[in-house]
Amino acid sequence: MELLPDRLAWFIAGPIIGLLTVALYAVANKHLGVTTSYLQVMTFVRSPRMAEMWRVWFFGGLVAGALLAALLRGGPSPNLNYGVLGDLLPIAAIVPVLFVGGLFMGFGARWGGGCTSGHGIAGSAILSRGAIVGIATIMATAIGLTLIVHLITGGSL
Amino acid sequence: MNLFTFLVGLAFGFLIVAAGLSDYTVIHDMLLLREPDVFLLMGTSFAVAMPLLLILRRRSWKTPLGGGLQLNRVEVEPKHVYEGALFGAGWAAAGTCPGPAIGMVAGGSLLGLVVMAGLGLGIILRNLAAGRISIGRGPTPHPAQPAATS
Repeated sequence: MELLPDRLAWFIAGPIIGLLTVALYAVANKHLGVTTSYLQVMTFVRSPRMAEMWRVWFFGGLVAGALLAALLRGGPSPNLNYGVLGDLLPIAAIVPVLFVGGLFMGFGARWGGGCTSGHGIAGSAILSRGAIVGIATIMATAIGLTLIVHLITGGSL
Repeated sequence: MNLFTFLVGLAFGFLIVAAGLSDYTVIHDMLLLREPDVFLLMGTSFAVAMPLLLILRRRSWKTPLGGGLQLNRVEVEPKHVYEGALFGAGWAAAGTCPGPAIGMVAGGSLLGLVVMAGLGLGIILRNLAAGRISIGRGPTPHPAQPAATS
């Protein structure tokens, strides 16, 4: 049973995400960001007293919310799909590509202090200059590389 | 505090999946400039949040749980560009980023777990490189880094 439409429209999701950013600041004085919550979950696993608990709870919320949406779409179903990338690459090639992609993002986000949410959504909303330069460079690099790969592969990726 | 941030996370995680941000094809099409939806989503989020936060700041808003409102602004530094290059490359390769990767895994994507594992190692490596964690002695208390928000 699928209770959730295929894709919630941007003009609904976008403003609500904006309000969540405002709510986190207005109520708790906290800056929305996902990568730091990964860090704090890992810190928690290693030594619970050292962790920033609000970020651990935020991460738990992310997991719970994502699971809820997945359930409303008919439940999570284990799969090895990965869009056109999964069609093009054998599993032995896609695993290292995705692992290194994740590694670059994790390293980069900790380096510059923000990811697509911390810089792109919350950092831009508070007009943080560093965050705006961060998300602009992220976007330009990602779009540039994607288009280059698209050209090199003759449009198949 | 913890219940509140859990609920914000819950709504954010739900919306990431509901809006299709955890779908490789949606992000790939965005990065190919084939469809504007994700840009519009980020744009409307900005258009709603930015003026409200400015108003709260101008009124010296007192937050119920965290004292006087302080926006976590940072000045531009070279690291923001280095990050952009690295993160952008990883985003282009994986077609997902840290929040949506959670959404992928929640939907049953086993390859999303690979991205999350890479993210975890990348975060650890950067903290090692920055000397914030020394192996064997346990992590230092969370650093009082103004920019530690991602």
